[in-house]
Amino acid sequence: MPQQHEQRSAEQQAAEQGNENARVQSNVDAQVDDLDALLDDIESTLETNAEEYVNRFVQKGGE
Amino acid sequence: MPQLRVERTGDQADRQAHSAGPHDHDFSRIFGIETEYGVSVTGTDKPCDAGQVAMMMFQPVISRARSTNTYLANGSRLYLDVGSHPEYATAESRTPMGALAQDAAGERVMAKLALEAQERLRESHGPDAAVHVFKNNVDSSGHTFGCHENYLVRRAVSLKTIERELIPFLVTRPLFTGAGRQTPDGFEITQRADFLDDAVSSATTRSRPMVNTRDEPHADPDKFRRLHVIVGDSNRSQVATWMKLATTHLVLCVIEEHQRTGGISPFACCALADPGEAIRAVSRDVTGRARLRLADDVPVEHERTALDIQRAYLNAAQRFVAAHAQGMDAILPDAAQVLELWEHALEAIAAGNWEELSDWVDWAAKLRLFNAMRRRHPDLDPARLAQMDLEYHDVANGRLFDSLAAHHAMRSLLSPDAVRTAMHEPPVDTRAALRGAFVAKALSTGAQWSCDWTHVTVMLPERADCELLDPFSPEPTDAWRRAMDLLG
Repeated sequence: MPQQHEQRSAEQQAAEQGNENARVQSNVDAQVDDLDALLDDIESTLETNAEEYVNRFVQKGGE
Repeated sequence: MPQLRVERTGDQADRQAHSAGPHDHDFSRIFGIETEYGVSVTGTDKPCDAGQVAMMMFQPVISRARSTNTYLANGSRLYLDVGSHPEYATAESRTPMGALAQDAAGERVMAKLALEAQERLRESHGPDAAVHVFKNNVDSSGHTFGCHENYLVRRAVSLKTIERELIPFLVTRPLFTGAGRQTPDGFEITQRADFLDDAVSSATTRSRPMVNTRDEPHADPDKFRRLHVIVGDSNRSQVATWMKLATTHLVLCVIEEHQRTGGISPFACCALADPGEAIRAVSRDVTGRARLRLADDVPVEHERTALDIQRAYLNAAQRFVAAHAQGMDAILPDAAQVLELWEHALEAIAAGNWEELSDWVDWAAKLRLFNAMRRRHPDLDPARLAQMDLEYHDVANGRLFDSLAAHHAMRSLLSPDAVRTAMHEPPVDTRAALRGAFVAKALSTGAQWSCDWTHVTVMLPERADCELLDPFSPEPTDAWRRAMDLLG
């Protein structure tokens, strides 16, 4: 793979990098939108009393 | 994978102990995962503890089996363990994917038992009673419980070899197998790091070694040993479970091959001075750059980072896969994909981009969520994080993990159908096929029966005991056929 990169001109590489950045950026934006929706979902389903939920889980050790 | 038929008659044990088997010297492996689940109950209008709830979950098991220990028609074992932990041990599988399917089936079996118990509980303890079943490794008080992997290894690999050559891999693989845990002192990438002492031990409940050497191989003890890995986390992510088994399998293949061919081990440069100290360092560091002290007899280097150690194992695995390209499918299906994911995981962590792994590495999924929640609520109550941390692992009533999947933020490898099938059908290519068929028939005819990993037994009207010593063989034997006939 590294050999292929060297054969392309610097210009080509810069153009490709620009396109790639744009693609990565749009992926990141899509992820951020979805992350908000995901957090909304999670918050709506968590039991209100977090401490009780956590403290109710006590067991003796297993193996 | 072509199955070699070996006709078995007469005294199986004697013949098997001295006859050559088809897998004595290759890279075939038997995989198993035993998971101890945690149980809690919330929302009751009367007091109720985990022990009571676990017994309620197992009521149907007790009615049927007159015991809290039973085997299912898919060949797996279901039982109520020490400290009221429901436990599920997968039927023997030839591949990581097969073991994953069985493990995922186990989650559904537990969820079903929990929700049925919840229905009964609501009759006496109020309509808001909720039963939670946690596939994790630590409760809210710092008690720990395990997810144990089982790998059949050729006997010729000594315990000393396992300690030197496998432990460094086990200590550093949490970089992609860790389930993660939020503590008051910060985020840890593995749940078990603080609870493990000796690297290798024969003891069981007294101290917690990383690898257990109790020798009940459930196979010919002259040929195989059962490697019992105790240091792993319980994973929700299917890809993480698959990768945990597949990468460990590749490492064991390299170790077995090296044992046969001799020479300097590819892992000689990774032996650790103090594995317990090392895994705690790995656990507190999402960059993989913590420097781990090497054993005194390692030449030249005194320390290595977790990433470097993982790279050494990855490189050896890559060489192994390349050298065995022809037969690789029989050794490990999809080996190329395993290597790719492994390499990408290490590269991402090295570049500080662990978030890229949040769609298959459990700790990364959690940490990404925790960080996002903290950005959204700068004054977030720590109890909320602890709650999310736990809910991630609740297979009965937890919605958090399912939300990740619904938002395409968590990969899966199995279709819901594949999981449902695995709840009832054993793997077709191991001894589990024989056990599963026996249990299925026994349940349908109502006969009196019992079994364990290496026997199926009919009790009435006539007692017949059938030993099944070879985990690799799904082939009916005369004794098995006789036992099946006697079931009615």
